[in-house]
Amino acid sequence: MRFLLSSMFYKSPFENLQRHADKVRECAEMFRRAAECHIKENCAEFDHLTDEVAKLESEADAIKRNIRNHLPRGILMPVDKFEFFQYLREQDKVLDEVEEALFWLSFRPSGIPHEIAEDFMGLVDAVLPPIEELSRLVRLATDYFKTGSEKQREKMKSLIRDIRQHEKEADILERELKAKVFTQIKDALAVYHLIRLAEIVGSIADHAQNASDRMRAMIAR
Amino acid sequence: MDILILSIATLVGLYMAANIGSNDLANAMGTSVGSGALTLNQAVVISIIANAAGAVLAGSYVTNTISKGMIDPTLFSHSPNDLMIGMFASLLAAGIWVNVATYLALPVSTTHSIVGAVVGFGILSVGAGAISWAKVISIVTSWVVSPVAGAVIAGVMFYVLEKGIMRSKHPIEASERYAPFLIFLVVIVLILSFIFKGLKNLHLHISFIETILFSMPVAAAIGILGRKWIRWQMKPSSRSFFGTKDSSAVDRFFSQLQVMTAFYVAFAHGANDVANAVGPLAAIFSVVKTKAVALRVEVPFWMLLMGGIAVGGGLFVFGARVMETIGKNITEINPLRGFCAQFGAATTILVCSRLGLPISTTHVLVGAVVGVGFMRGMGSVDLRVLRNIAYSWIITLPFTVLLCMILYKALSFAMASIF
Repeated sequence: MRFLLSSMFYKSPFENLQRHADKVRECAEMFRRAAECHIKENCAEFDHLTDEVAKLESEADAIKRNIRNHLPRGILMPVDKFEFFQYLREQDKVLDEVEEALFWLSFRPSGIPHEIAEDFMGLVDAVLPPIEELSRLVRLATDYFKTGSEKQREKMKSLIRDIRQHEKEADILERELKAKVFTQIKDALAVYHLIRLAEIVGSIADHAQNASDRMRAMIAR
Repeated sequence: MDILILSIATLVGLYMAANIGSNDLANAMGTSVGSGALTLNQAVVISIIANAAGAVLAGSYVTNTISKGMIDPTLFSHSPNDLMIGMFASLLAAGIWVNVATYLALPVSTTHSIVGAVVGFGILSVGAGAISWAKVISIVTSWVVSPVAGAVIAGVMFYVLEKGIMRSKHPIEASERYAPFLIFLVVIVLILSFIFKGLKNLHLHISFIETILFSMPVAAAIGILGRKWIRWQMKPSSRSFFGTKDSSAVDRFFSQLQVMTAFYVAFAHGANDVANAVGPLAAIFSVVKTKAVALRVEVPFWMLLMGGIAVGGGLFVFGARVMETIGKNITEINPLRGFCAQFGAATTILVCSRLGLPISTTHVLVGAVVGVGFMRGMGSVDLRVLRNIAYSWIITLPFTVLLCMILYKALSFAMASIF
């Protein structure tokens, strides 16, 4: 015998969303270690970390596909499915940009010029908190859609505000870094590489913020 | 010879009763186990006690010889054996269908199954003209009426409670404020249901006004007393009887209410649906013992008690292991949602049966769960499963009709060749 109504309850997609968010967070930590290592000369660990991130990315991709492929029409969800997919897309883009940033780092093994190394690490550190917060946001959301508690919703709203604030700070750092690159680096190739790198790292925070905006729309009332 | 027939008939009756438990009652109790309001063991104990109590205290001691009066039994006065074989085939056919449906995870109405089976043997034995087709049509109407009514009432209830309690700034204070009214409402519905549905077989002849006059002050008193109990239960330090240890105060509050409705659902089930297994059995006993056909037959006490326990036992025997996993698998049901679905269903059954609309408990409960889902309450509800469930409701009639015809023919042939 089974509880006959149980087949009517579809597995909540938020569980998988959490797993995806955790993979993104893991990648972000690796990215930080890789960037730190890359700035120092003779980084032996860098290739290994890049491989790790690539592996995590493909795992996260599998989770994303799994979520998308298992939400057919006819599944009633507590949130708009369209909004949910958009959120997933942005969260996945965070990961894509992390991977892309690592690739750009690897394109010029000579490393980051020491004049701007500190500013670059500052930018990297600034884009990491939103990723941490994203994973916490998903955890809160899972809970909120289970209980519908107003307290949980307030917590989510304040977390979303934090993410927005962090993104703003990362934006400022990105602008400052770019300005510094143009004034202090003379090698045109290096300038191109660094500007592009700064843009990619900056967009990590942008996508994290986009994702949190989607989440805000999901809990709107 | 008689004793052999009676023993086999009793076994088939037990088989039907156990199947009723594993399908019908499992649905009614499942939302309580899923929300964590009841543990599996608590659910089984409540089911067996409440169900047996419902059957014995409020069940029918006198029932139509042919289930739900689908056929006029006097048509069989010259051939009581046909009636006996027919009821035997009906029990077996309905039992098999409910068993199949349970295996396929489809919640079907056991009442509709037995009615379909009776129609099947009726067509073969006394002809299609003798069957009360109006009753068949009322079953068809219930496919639409039950789930829609259940969905609307449970959905509205969920919307109001979520807005009033979960979305308020202080859910604990809000639930304390709502508590007396909610308890009042639950008690009113329980008392009215007991009197109109559960106890209708006692033929107490209490008028509607009398019932209201009686139940209002009782419910109000329990509501005020209940507030104290709820306050105590919601304190984090207090020992909670129902609900999981780490659940929040609000969850514990709704767990208490859910347990009340769960008890009621099991009781009402015992009062009404045990007859689906026991009624045909009583008819067989009557025919074998008196060699005549009566309009109505008496149902002995032991039969009702046995039926009530067998239904609860069916839930335990077939359901123990799987119900255990419900709590883990269906995290989408929390006590508030479970309470809304269950209490919404109980209210729907009361209102609709007062209005004379044909409804089935199972169908109402399915509708109630979807209704809460539509209010964006459930984590995610698979509407495609709903289609399968709807098909199974429709298939119940033709399947049991055909199966019973086959069994009736086979049994008649066997009886004729033995004697």
